[in-house]
Amino acid sequence: MAGNFWQSSHCNQWVLDNQCLLKNRQQDLAFLSEEEYQKVHIFYASVIQAIGEQLNVRQQVIATATIYFKRVYSRYSLKSIDPLLLGPTCLFLAAKVEESGLITNSKLQVACQSVVKKFAYAFKSQEFRYKPNQILECEFYLLELLDCCLIVYHPYRPLIQYVTDLGQEEQLLPLAWKIVNDSLRTDVCLLYPPYLIALACLHMACVISQKDTKHWFAELNVDLDKVLEITQQILKLYDLWKNYDEREEIAGILEKVPKPQLTPPGGAKTTEG
Amino acid sequence: MQKYEKLEKIGEGTYGTVFKAKNKDNQEIVALKRVRLDDDDEGVPSSALREICLLKELRHRNIVHLHDILHSDKKLTLVFEYCDQDLKKYFDSCNGEIDADVVKSFMYQLLKGLAFCHSHHVLHRDLKPQNLLINKNGELKLADFGLARAFGIPVRCYSAEVVTLWYRPPDVLFGAKVYTTSIDMWSAGCIFAEMANAGRPLFPGNDVDDQLKRIFKLLGTPTEESWPGITKLPDYKAYPIYPVTTPLSSVVPTLPPKGRDLLQHLLVCNPSLRMSAEESLAQNYFADLNATKAL
Repeated sequence: MAGNFWQSSHCNQWVLDNQCLLKNRQQDLAFLSEEEYQKVHIFYASVIQAIGEQLNVRQQVIATATIYFKRVYSRYSLKSIDPLLLGPTCLFLAAKVEESGLITNSKLQVACQSVVKKFAYAFKSQEFRYKPNQILECEFYLLELLDCCLIVYHPYRPLIQYVTDLGQEEQLLPLAWKIVNDSLRTDVCLLYPPYLIALACLHMACVISQKDTKHWFAELNVDLDKVLEITQQILKLYDLWKNYDEREEIAGILEKVPKPQLTPPGGAKTTEG
Repeated sequence: MQKYEKLEKIGEGTYGTVFKAKNKDNQEIVALKRVRLDDDDEGVPSSALREICLLKELRHRNIVHLHDILHSDKKLTLVFEYCDQDLKKYFDSCNGEIDADVVKSFMYQLLKGLAFCHSHHVLHRDLKPQNLLINKNGELKLADFGLARAFGIPVRCYSAEVVTLWYRPPDVLFGAKVYTTSIDMWSAGCIFAEMANAGRPLFPGNDVDDQLKRIFKLLGTPTEESWPGITKLPDYKAYPIYPVTTPLSSVVPTLPPKGRDLLQHLLVCNPSLRMSAEESLAQNYFADLNATKAL
């Protein structure tokens, strides 16, 4: 479905305010620094990406799943639900919503097992411990936590339109596309409409490729301050990546993440305190 | 769930039972659609998800309104606005006679709902009288967006009830896999004729072959000339060339000439030549409605 963004639940309910985002995050920030919190999200975005790639789903499904994941934690603490259970569940739901074919539970289990091994440096247990029925149960809660808003708009479609309008597609599109993928590791997808994210990524691609596009951007009639804010958040991510060795640090950070005490009623106990 | 008092079972939907119920807080009557979660592997059924996705985004007076989604006891219940009957039951109650103004009003509302869906790039893909709800104010609403999927239309739903072919266009019957808004426009044409005839279906085929024959006998067998590419469709097979012998005026005798004109533009075998919902609404047939209802 490619409906109208301006009348969508995404636009009306899920373009969040930064203050509100920070407020909801306070609980977790008692255990983690802001940077560590972001590292947790960067890590799980990679986990979702890796599971999605194992399952051969389209990038669109991975992007939707990642946004579901971030929407949940934009409102709830990391301790409300184990991210390692929520991540695969988001993929399971997103594949159905994007009509990309059902990911069977058995395939999902295999993919999760292999991804947990791939990220062995991060996890204490080398096993993916969640059973298919826990994924299904989690899907049910996920629907509720998302307030059943399942259609997500991504920057990819507006990006293609802008690049076509600007010309020089073959040079700019792959680079801008990659920056859009990277932007999923920041909060921008929670804070800004997708077309502005597309513009920020395109602008960055132009700067990197040393294309003078000032004129084109000036004629756009959009809020360039917001485009700049988005750019800054993405640059901050690149900055963070430069001096960060995930292999060294992530296990220690995950250790500090507040854990769920119990799964919701009806589920098996999944963590040891 | 305690908020709603179940009154009676209305029917079986694509993915679960539908109940009439009363909201105890405000006495409002609603329809509750319980989503079955009994499939071990699928989780929440795709058909239910599709309906949730679409109805959460689409709000229009001619599309059934999804009030709420209830999560309780591991059950998912969709709360819809209640409509007294569907178009099929409406036909049953009109004893072979239907007012010409009612036909026009229903068709107008059907096209309004479709134009809205199509402007949002949403296809219904399974329009039939059972999926058009009528409330006591004579408002018509498109419902049941659950059955249709993006790839291929299932022939059976979970209750093994065979999905009717009567409203399927020839391109889909010939196995076309790419659907466009034209699929809904064919169905709208079939329903239009059925309304004009107070509930007598236009093409009540028994199987795909019979369905195509009935269509071609009325409209003439399409050829590569009238419909370039027809012979390349996956399930294409040649049919005898039926000449057009029956004028539409004898098929829908009560429909005024302007209405017949619209019908003629909808019942076009070649999908690329079928009229769109937006164009249909601008037809002369609706001139009086457009004048009075212009808001």
